[in-house]
Amino acid sequence: MPKHIKRLILVFGIFIALFILLQQILRPSSFGELGHYRSDAIEENAANELHYAGVANCSSCHDTVRLQKSAGLHAMLTCEACHGPGLKHARFAGSFTGFPLPDSLVLQKPTERKDCALCHQINAARVKILFDTIDNSLIRQVNALEHNLMSKKTKKERKCVSCHNPHQP
Amino acid sequence: MKKNRSALSRRDFFRAGAIIAGGVAVSSSVATVNGLLFASEPSGGKGKWYGIGIDINKCIGCGKCAHACKLENQVPDDPFYFRSWVEQYTIKTDGTILVESPNGGIDGFSQSVPEEEIFKSFFVPKMCNHCYKSPCTQVCPVGATFDTPEGIVLIDENYCIGCRYCVQACPYGCRYVHPEKKTVDKCTLCIHRLKKGLQPACFEICPTEARIFGDLNDPESSLNSFLKNHTCMVIKPHLNTGSKLFYNALSSEVR
Amino acid sequence: MAHHLQNLYEALSKVDGYIYPNEIELNWSILIVLYPYITGLVAGAFILASLERIFKLHILKPTYGLALLTALAFLIVAPLPLVSHLGKPLRAYEIMITPHLSSAMAIFGFVYLWYLMVVLLLEIWFDYRRDMVIWANESSGLKRLLYKVFSLWTTDISPKSAALDKKIGYIITVIGVPSAFLLHGYVGFIFGSIKANPWWSTVLMPVIFLFSAMVSGIALVMLIYIVLMRIRKQAVDMGCLDTIAKYLFYILIIDFALEGLDQIHRIYEAEESFEALHLLVMGKLFFTLFIMQGLFGIVVPLITLGTLQFYRPGERVRKTIYLIISILILVGIFFMRWNVVIGGQLFSKSFYGYTSFKIGLIGSEGFLMAGVWIVVPFLILSFLLWLLPPWKKKEEELPVHAS
Repeated sequence: MPKHIKRLILVFGIFIALFILLQQILRPSSFGELGHYRSDAIEENAANELHYAGVANCSSCHDTVRLQKSAGLHAMLTCEACHGPGLKHARFAGSFTGFPLPDSLVLQKPTERKDCALCHQINAARVKILFDTIDNSLIRQVNALEHNLMSKKTKKERKCVSCHNPHQP
Repeated sequence: MKKNRSALSRRDFFRAGAIIAGGVAVSSSVATVNGLLFASEPSGGKGKWYGIGIDINKCIGCGKCAHACKLENQVPDDPFYFRSWVEQYTIKTDGTILVESPNGGIDGFSQSVPEEEIFKSFFVPKMCNHCYKSPCTQVCPVGATFDTPEGIVLIDENYCIGCRYCVQACPYGCRYVHPEKKTVDKCTLCIHRLKKGLQPACFEICPTEARIFGDLNDPESSLNSFLKNHTCMVIKPHLNTGSKLFYNALSSEVR
Repeated sequence: MAHHLQNLYEALSKVDGYIYPNEIELNWSILIVLYPYITGLVAGAFILASLERIFKLHILKPTYGLALLTALAFLIVAPLPLVSHLGKPLRAYEIMITPHLSSAMAIFGFVYLWYLMVVLLLEIWFDYRRDMVIWANESSGLKRLLYKVFSLWTTDISPKSAALDKKIGYIITVIGVPSAFLLHGYVGFIFGSIKANPWWSTVLMPVIFLFSAMVSGIALVMLIYIVLMRIRKQAVDMGCLDTIAKYLFYILIIDFALEGLDQIHRIYEAEESFEALHLLVMGKLFFTLFIMQGLFGIVVPLITLGTLQFYRPGERVRKTIYLIISILILVGIFFMRWNVVIGGQLFSKSFYGYTSFKIGLIGSEGFLMAGVWIVVPFLILSFLLWLLPPWKKKEEELPVHAS
């Protein structure tokens, strides 16, 4: 074989060997165990931080409210649906009873009209009957922008919560 | 001399041609086999196989699912990044279809069409369909998005190169590129909650039980009874994505 | 980041109809328009070279070496717009380490490597090795070192080695033709295989990409040849140029037929996406599709080149026409890529609405960045032409060994 062909094959051989070596070195360790991916990624995804606690966590401190709510029309609403994610709040409160809660862990109280409007604003798409099995399962809809907007007494805008108790509507 | 040379080169030509033809034949058969293996097959009845059901007849469009998803998974606030969102369809009496999703439904909906012009109107919550023949996992060039053995489509954000091919391939618009991480992101079916025995955030929060989540392999699961008792359909069935998000009362206008 | 968000809010206000909330941002921008354009130029230039080598069109000899070097210059630049557009460019090597074989994009790494190393570099090496050895003796300093390195310090310039080199080069060119088809065809397949996007999803996409690539590559070599000869103050070989124009004409006809067929088929079948796409084409895409791609890129060159087959004006006039036509074609094919990539993202996959596209001057995906990637290949080509000038190749030398 002519010399220049031999030299060419040598150069290519070195290149291919280097390539294969690099491939082996750089390949991630858990790759290919379950499929064409790093199976470590499943654990990494599963290790993400939780933010919502679930109703059971709220009841241990706020049982009276829960009981009040469970008898009424808002029974199907979880606490966190309105008050936001409460896991950090529950954990802190659970471990340091008696300490004041830091501001960042105080949960929101959605008392503005727009918060109630999320479910109750009149809309042709909003279903009327919620559950066939529950009596009185109408979802009442109003025009939240107008319904009893102004207080005749104080001449100021009223919030929905001034007449309706959200835990016992 | 001349005759010899041309005879040699013709032989070489055929030799080269045979190598090429053989190579193409082999590589095309390999390609077909790999093409079929683009996602995991249904687990054959063993282990968990997660699916989702959404009842359009029950959705009141409160948008709390979309909001809870953003809060649980630290999704950026801006109205361009959604793992889950709610759409409102309004079909007018003249036949036109109006679809809206202001901030994904998180800020609530307003009905701009007057009552007398409305023929039909409903809400459709959307999220990743966790397809078992997902086109998105098929096209990822490096294997950064995949189907877990339990049927959840996940993203490996430490491996994703941000080429955005999967975003193009998803027919349902479920994927987006995280503005800070620069990798692709989407609904993970809250696998971090599932592993601790909790429900995904959107199912946890829904006040009307419009969202049902369950194990398709478990004959007693709420999802299987949902499927049995309702007429369910997936969006874009003609694309054969193996979508595991089943809608009850899906109207023909929904895409 | 704030600027980026501002652009998105602006786009949000311009949304027409309904789009999925995540669709507001266009995912693939001008850099992804550039990549198929550049690989297309590579494939086209190579096909022109192979017309001379395999199909024995020796009248094209003056452009053979130029076409190969043009292909190399552009191939070197080709992956750069791709890597620079990635969200995580430093992870780009993963495509070589764990390519997902069901993804057309994963093939990129290996097809590119194959084409660069085995086809283009080897062919140029076998074509120029002997010349490099001879030139090494005639030059000094850096140039001599470069020749020595690239010829792998070989010294054999015997007629026997030259004949062997020629034969091997021929085989490589034969392998190179389907490889060129693969290099650019797979890009068409990347788009054509996305069932979620009906503007892209068509069986014809790889074929359309391939033929428009051939058109653009041939036009590029024609343009460079005319300009280069003007710079070198040499006469252009009109026989060569006329033949290039003839083949350009034939392939342009096929390209036009294919693109026309794609649209006619889409209009006739009028399946689910048709109304949305029709509005797109008559609205946002009208100028870039009908005027830039259609009229300037295809129809005007077709009519001009067609007329030239029957009516032959003087040499000067023909040369000027070829110059203008090649520029028109290059611009037209660029817009063809634009219409495919950008057009396919302007409408919502819900078929209920459209978003808008804004491109800035600066920024990682701006015009300037795209401009850089277009200019750099010409700089590389200038270097290659300085190092390996095709017009100085020595076909007739007979000494057995150089000292």
